[in-house]
Amino acid sequence: MEIQGGLRQKMNKQMAGYIQENNTEIITKWQELMKNEKNDRSFQVMPTDLMNQTSKEFADLMLSNLLESHQAYETRLNDFAEKVVRLGWSMTFVTKAIDHFSEVVFEGMEDAGLITQENFRGFFKEFNNWIIPIRDSTVAAYSKTWERTVSLQKIALQELSASLIPVFEKVSVMPLVGTIDTERARLIMENLLEGVVKHRAEVVLLDITGVPVVDTMVAHHIIQAADAVRLVGAKCMLVGIRPEIAQTIVTLGINLNEFTTTSTLQRGVEQALAWTNRKIVEVDEQ
Amino acid sequence: MNFRIPILKLRDTLIVSIQWELDDQTAIQFQEDLLNKLHETSARGVVIDLTSVDFIDSFIAKVLGDVISMSSLMGARVVITGIQPAVAITLIELGIRLEDVMTALDLENGLDKLQLELEA
Amino acid sequence: MSNQSSVEILTEWDIVAARQLGRNVAKELGFGTVDQARITTAISELARNIYLYAGQGRIEIQQLMENGIKGILIIAADQGPGIPDIRKVMEDGFSTSGGLGAGLPGVKRLMDEFKIETIPGEGTDIRATKWLR
Repeated sequence: MEIQGGLRQKMNKQMAGYIQENNTEIITKWQELMKNEKNDRSFQVMPTDLMNQTSKEFADLMLSNLLESHQAYETRLNDFAEKVVRLGWSMTFVTKAIDHFSEVVFEGMEDAGLITQENFRGFFKEFNNWIIPIRDSTVAAYSKTWERTVSLQKIALQELSASLIPVFEKVSVMPLVGTIDTERARLIMENLLEGVVKHRAEVVLLDITGVPVVDTMVAHHIIQAADAVRLVGAKCMLVGIRPEIAQTIVTLGINLNEFTTTSTLQRGVEQALAWTNRKIVEVDEQ
Repeated sequence: MNFRIPILKLRDTLIVSIQWELDDQTAIQFQEDLLNKLHETSARGVVIDLTSVDFIDSFIAKVLGDVISMSSLMGARVVITGIQPAVAITLIELGIRLEDVMTALDLENGLDKLQLELEA
Repeated sequence: MSNQSSVEILTEWDIVAARQLGRNVAKELGFGTVDQARITTAISELARNIYLYAGQGRIEIQQLMENGIKGILIIAADQGPGIPDIRKVMEDGFSTSGGLGAGLPGVKRLMDEFKIETIPGEGTDIRATKWLR
């Protein structure tokens, strides 16, 4: 069935009009549906006034797609998507929200007698024309925001990863925190070696207290780093080996025999000082 | 084209500083010159400084490794100094570990290490 | 975008020429010192393989631009005897020339992408890419 432009406009107007007139009622019903979503607790845990405000914004967004220019809608959509990401809504939750909203409006208009047997198909098509682009662009805006968040986090992670700290003359420490993947391993290696040369460190202590898992891959990267440190002319020691890490290393059959390891940074520092012919002594108080 | 890498003698140590990119011929020539010099001077230690070398491939690594083994056969210890971070990373990724090689951060450290080694 | 230049490998000196070309291109593209060393070393290994096994061939350096990311492509091509067993040469520690056996697996580790095509009796074509992060 071909719908004429005039008829389409009329239907759009009817939909917009219905939403504007019954705003409060629609939002209440919609909130009920959203609260019953078992898999997502976003709504259960949200404070009431924040939930009401967000719901209002969401309704405005849905409405603006019917009323406003494309550009105004885009801006509003981007703002909303960003906000929703900040609130921690999942993508599934957002698409559910859109579906439920159109459901509530459709059923409401049916009950009000605006949608009848005769115009049912026409409205059905118009609802799809309304909902599908919103869903598509929400998902797009959502994943864009999400990608940006991920890349920002990645940068943050890189910044946090691996700087070499000189603790004594000839002795430096590099604390490693978090999961080590290939990309980070490369960065760690470069920072480590450049740091060793820059600070003229003769001993570096790699502290893995903050590394949650040491598997074969991570161990391989650590061994490589230690080897490279030896080539530039320094010694590498692995410190901060927790009991469970010692267990996995042995269980996996990883051979770390070639380099010195200790459980704590403190013992590592003592060993490093011994290697460079120094030690810490207590001084009697005068 | 016949570059020769200068080999200096300081007491009982030979000092070599490689200042330009090594081609195959120069590397092999160097191997020969160093062994001859060891024979002439009966030096007990060698320091090879690679601070200005910005890349080492498997061939040059092999020549260096050979020089070290050959020198030790002739009774001299070799210390390699000043390997740049980029060079170290590349060597490791290539799979070249230069296992039993003594290394030091720079020439000065290298001479100290050699001294300790020779006294022991 | 693709910008290329190449060096014929006939003598040992051409190995030096090929890696100098590679280093210059890598520098121009903005690669850091570590990546420059990786690229130069990879070229040196590939050029030496040509010199040792095929006798003659060509190293080609291309600048790449894909999805806004710059990269460098090394092509090592020869009409030599080819490699009868690729799996074997890609194993660490395998070498037929008395080198350290770092050869091709080492090159693969130094670069981001590595592809080898070889037909025994006809020649070998190796392509290795590094992307600028």
